[in-house]
Amino acid sequence: MLKNTFRKWWDLRLQIALLGLAVTAAWGVRQTQGAAVFEVYNWVTRPFHANGSGQEELISARTQELQAQLLELENQNQKLKELLGYVSAKKPKGIVAPIVGRSADHWWQQVTLGRGSNDGIKTDFTVMSPGGLVGRVVSVTPNTSLVLLVSDATSQLGVGITRSRHMGFMRGKGGNQAVMEFFENVPNVKPGDVVSTSSYSQLFPPGLPVGKVVSVDMNKTPAPEAVVEFSAPMNALEWAVVYPHSKQAEPNDSQAQSSAASEGAQQQ
Amino acid sequence: MKALSRMSSRSRQFLNFAVTFLSVMLCILILPTRMPGMELLGIGPNWLLIWLVAWSIKRKRTVWGAASMGLVLGFLQDAMTAPHPTHAVSLVVVGVLTVVLQKTWSIPVDIVERDPIPIALIVFGMAVVAETVMGLQFFAMGDRALLEIWSYHQRVALCSAILSSLWAPVIYFPLNRLWEMTRNLEKP
Repeated sequence: MLKNTFRKWWDLRLQIALLGLAVTAAWGVRQTQGAAVFEVYNWVTRPFHANGSGQEELISARTQELQAQLLELENQNQKLKELLGYVSAKKPKGIVAPIVGRSADHWWQQVTLGRGSNDGIKTDFTVMSPGGLVGRVVSVTPNTSLVLLVSDATSQLGVGITRSRHMGFMRGKGGNQAVMEFFENVPNVKPGDVVSTSSYSQLFPPGLPVGKVVSVDMNKTPAPEAVVEFSAPMNALEWAVVYPHSKQAEPNDSQAQSSAASEGAQQQ
Repeated sequence: MKALSRMSSRSRQFLNFAVTFLSVMLCILILPTRMPGMELLGIGPNWLLIWLVAWSIKRKRTVWGAASMGLVLGFLQDAMTAPHPTHAVSLVVVGVLTVVLQKTWSIPVDIVERDPIPIALIVFGMAVVAETVMGLQFFAMGDRALLEIWSYHQRVALCSAILSSLWAPVIYFPLNRLWEMTRNLEKP
């Protein structure tokens, strides 16, 4: 009798201890943003990673991206010709990374890349793919990095119409579309216009191609809205290129450049 | 079977624990994949929810056990996505509801074990509940418009419920079989 009660009590205590241990362990995993889990995932799925065979399919998307980029650069060039003291910035070299996983739940639009801090990726880096802007790195482990896509409802970015240079901000709608809200009351915009990131956007460098305007609603209050379709195929991503970008580094860079420019001017 | 029955009770307990742990790991590792035939509009089955229902539907589970298991799985899913809002709330609700459902309706275990329909139906309902709780949390956080959440919720809840209920037997039957095997051996 006594032995039985003791045994029951002991079982209960063991159960509580096990459950407590499980909760603590899960809490630990959550606090480290699942670093261990993603590392294991990367290791397990390594044989199935894309190996570049599907790249031909993406060439047409790549052409579209280049066209959009050209249009953007032409317009930008025109503006810049009017300005003095312009120093051309060198485009940084990108890190090519395979996409090894999608979002682990249904409410977030995320992808996992198969490269991490070992390859030099840091948080806040910009992620591009054939077609245009894809998203932003939100967390990094040694061999993987988690990317928040621009199609997520929480990622807002400053964008502009390339043709008319009218500005606004864009909010992801999930899937392949986003909604752009204009700052002007009567913006010069029509379906087919190319949308790119503006210099107002803090999380992304300016001038990256984002997508095309599909439809415009001028009567929307408080501001006119346009539906934008991403030029990158959000649902069929296989590869991405990660470019360095950080909010802190930029002012320093431009300061360094402007001081170098003034030095050059003094020497002349 | 013979090799199993020769094992001591302690190592059998360890085996039971290992089955539980490894199956959870497996569910977590398939979460980010989207294999052909496993997705609808870019949405895959909610594997952790299926696992939780399979775990909670067993006769011996308590409400507290299911709640803490939901908490554990929720934290793990948070780690894979983003910590706010937490997935723990929806999975705790699912765990508790499943246990309460099992206790109040006293669903005959042998029917659940033989027929895939009851488990699929329960998972269908629980997936809708879980996505609704997530939607409410997003609404409470206030950074998404209600209309947006509502239209997205319909799509997510339906796709997730359909896929999860279709894939539920794949998780439930092997797991249940393993648990039954180790439990039967513990009986004298």
